[in-house]
Amino acid sequence: MGRYLLRRLGFAFLLVFVVSSAALLLTRIVPGDFGTFQCQDLTFEKCKAIRASLGLDRSILSQYLSWLGGVIRFDFGRSLLYSRPVNALIGERALNTAVLAVVALIAATLIGIPLGIYTGTRRGIVRSIVRAISLIGVSVPPLIGSLALVFLAARTGWLPVGGMTSSGGLELTWAAWFADLARHVPLPALALAIPMAATLERLQSEAIASASREPFVAASRARGVDRSRSILHHAWPVSLRPILGLYGVMIGALFSGSFVVEVVTSWPGLGRLMFDALKARDLFLVAGCAATGAFFLAAGTLLSDLLLAYTDPRVKSGEGA
Amino acid sequence: MNRQARALLSVLLIGVVVFLGWRSCNTRPDQDGATQIVINEASTRGGTLVSSLRSEPRTFNRIVLPSVPTDLYSILTGSKLIRVNRATQEAEPALVESWTISPDNKTYTLKLRDGLTWSDGVPFTSADVVFSFQAIYDPRTESPLDGVLRIGGKPFVVTAPDARTVVVSLPGTLGVGVAVLDNVTVAAKHKHEAALKAGKFKDELAVDTPPADLLSIGPFKLTSYSPGQRLVFDRNPRYWKKDAAGTQLPYLDQVILEIVPDQNAELVRLQSGQFDVLQQQIRPEDIATLRPVERQGKLKVIELGVAADADSFFFNLRSPYWAKDPRRDWITRKEFRQAISHAIDREAFANTVFLGAGVPIFGPVTPGNKQWFNPNVPRRGYSLDRAKEILAGLGLTNRDADEWLEDARGTEAHFILLAYRGNSSVERSAAVLRDELKKIGVKVDVVLLEQGALQQRIQKGDFESTVIVFNATNLDPAMNPDFWLSSGGAHFWNIGQAKPATDWEKEIDDLMGTVMTSVDPAERKRAFDQVQMVFAENLPVLYFVAPRLYMGVSTRVGGLSASILRPQLLWNIDQMTVKGSR
Repeated sequence: MGRYLLRRLGFAFLLVFVVSSAALLLTRIVPGDFGTFQCQDLTFEKCKAIRASLGLDRSILSQYLSWLGGVIRFDFGRSLLYSRPVNALIGERALNTAVLAVVALIAATLIGIPLGIYTGTRRGIVRSIVRAISLIGVSVPPLIGSLALVFLAARTGWLPVGGMTSSGGLELTWAAWFADLARHVPLPALALAIPMAATLERLQSEAIASASREPFVAASRARGVDRSRSILHHAWPVSLRPILGLYGVMIGALFSGSFVVEVVTSWPGLGRLMFDALKARDLFLVAGCAATGAFFLAAGTLLSDLLLAYTDPRVKSGEGA
Repeated sequence: MNRQARALLSVLLIGVVVFLGWRSCNTRPDQDGATQIVINEASTRGGTLVSSLRSEPRTFNRIVLPSVPTDLYSILTGSKLIRVNRATQEAEPALVESWTISPDNKTYTLKLRDGLTWSDGVPFTSADVVFSFQAIYDPRTESPLDGVLRIGGKPFVVTAPDARTVVVSLPGTLGVGVAVLDNVTVAAKHKHEAALKAGKFKDELAVDTPPADLLSIGPFKLTSYSPGQRLVFDRNPRYWKKDAAGTQLPYLDQVILEIVPDQNAELVRLQSGQFDVLQQQIRPEDIATLRPVERQGKLKVIELGVAADADSFFFNLRSPYWAKDPRRDWITRKEFRQAISHAIDREAFANTVFLGAGVPIFGPVTPGNKQWFNPNVPRRGYSLDRAKEILAGLGLTNRDADEWLEDARGTEAHFILLAYRGNSSVERSAAVLRDELKKIGVKVDVVLLEQGALQQRIQKGDFESTVIVFNATNLDPAMNPDFWLSSGGAHFWNIGQAKPATDWEKEIDDLMGTVMTSVDPAERKRAFDQVQMVFAENLPVLYFVAPRLYMGVSTRVGGLSASILRPQLLWNIDQMTVKGSR
């Protein structure tokens, strides 16, 4: 297990390194850099001076090597856009994204898995309705889903339309601040959770339907175990394998921030930061955001592998690998 | 009905009952009665105004970076020495109470108001003004304002004979006169002097500066900034301005700028009453969605007039770019551009691009700029026959019975049009140009590019033609020399020429010299009228339609004074009022 963990950690570092390097280099080589926006309407000399002060006149290799030197010390450089250290910016936003991601993940799990178990083991009109709704949930793009929820919230006034807290949040007590946050989270969390819940439902439904046909489930029923218990105790653990595999990717995607949902619901998270950085060609911030996303992806897949090993004895023994 | 369905229906029914009960307990008292405010009604002191901000501030230092968020911050927390009233375009006293101009028009003597203080209580004096100019002119600051505050490359000399007097000595005469001081953002000497000496003024007023360290001499002071969320400004009790009745301004207690990057979400929040006013104008396609809310009396859609900026279409007119191109004989000729002007149905353009909310234009100065607009410029209006006739004169005729024209060498009449992806009106403009020019046999390939890539192509001169929007920041042409002068950085069709490439550009340079240096308003107007005539004859940039500007404002907002320049309403924030709770 120790060697396995070490191997996975090594893979995680490699992934972070490759993704952030690629992000930096690609942002550097595409047409138009940060200086292009700074130089609008300026004379050639002034533009040249600005580019030099930003370090944009340096070669791609020199820029990359000096950035790499910083990364070794966990210093991702200074954002050109905000004139602030990338680490500080990412730290602020990653926490906001984490709040959203955790709530969305829990919501998607609590909605998707039970519905998947239900639709995978039952027949009837309710099942058909749930399946139809989940198909819509999977199909609707996040932009449309987010806008629809924002519109609904605006029309009804049930939830705040956007933002993470209300104005005046800084003066609130912890309890009041938390209550305020709890009112703001549902809308973006639902926008993220609905398509994930729908995906989980569909996957879980297929998986448990397949597991229910296994001989050991039939054997348990023959031993007199009731249907629900047989499904939950025998079929469900086996059906979890594809679900847990998907969790790794979902965690990575959620924790690296969804820029569509964050932009539409004005949630100050990593996705929005990355989006702004890309628009402005802030290459150090882009690389930092990409590294964070890659880190969460690696962490998510590691976590899902560990959970898989925990729930499926064949993985521990290497049978399923 | 089977057991499952009955159970589900029961759960749904219970859910509905519980939800309705919760809603009835949580319903707030009807607020509508408290929000029936007439626009521009008499002032009311107090209240919070909530507006939007599309992008985050990158710095609070406007001397270093004038941008939409920083300009807005500067309007809220700063004051001009002399302010150009955005509604009337007249220069009016601000921090400077009065001024005199020497007979040779080269020296302005400014008298500051008595008793001015920064928000920390330190007096604002002439030393702060001198310091601000030093900060702007310091090359280490890299201030874009530096170029605006020079004549013929020479800086102004600013001195302070006493604490309330500032003398500005110009190296020449200046057409805009004291209005040039509207560009100056003042900085607190006692706060930033050390940084300027150390060459680090550029890093001052960064966005992570604690709000307590950000001084104000304007109507508000920043009290909190939550990155990605909002900026909260509270009334600055030391603000110098009072209204005619002697009431201390601003009327508002607080201004909140909510950061909402998505325009659709911004609109939804205006509709739902969460915003009182938006940062900038609404899109033509959004007007219809606001009308029902307007009918309910919660919102007012105000027409501000014709915009000062319009979509502009131009060719690359750098000769070397076309030197080896087979189209060189006709593509940079003014007749070709004149033919294009004739080929565009501006009414149809307005209907397609701006959904009817636009007026036909024939030059860069729109009717919105009442002071400088020349209605007599040649109008090359819609006439396909005239367009075809001009093209035939250039040797472009249909030689192979397809739908496109060819020149004598058989080269097809076509060009590539670059446009900015993501701006709906620009994308539609490009599509209309392609479709309209097809009618006269000219083929246009539209290529949509990301903004950074497009700007780089334009700056490098690596494009055939493009359609973009210039954002007007000032209505006086003397304040936009980079566009008009052949040496200018915004003379995009042939950027930064060492000497004028054509006779007509030289003529414009000479005329603009008069516009920029003459102190006789009539002479300036005559010269600029002529600039517009020369421009319209040669059409280096083609203009088709200027949009009408609309703003959506909550009916609880009063004290509005609209301008066609950004920020169209908030520029006058110290006079704005709100009534009732949100």
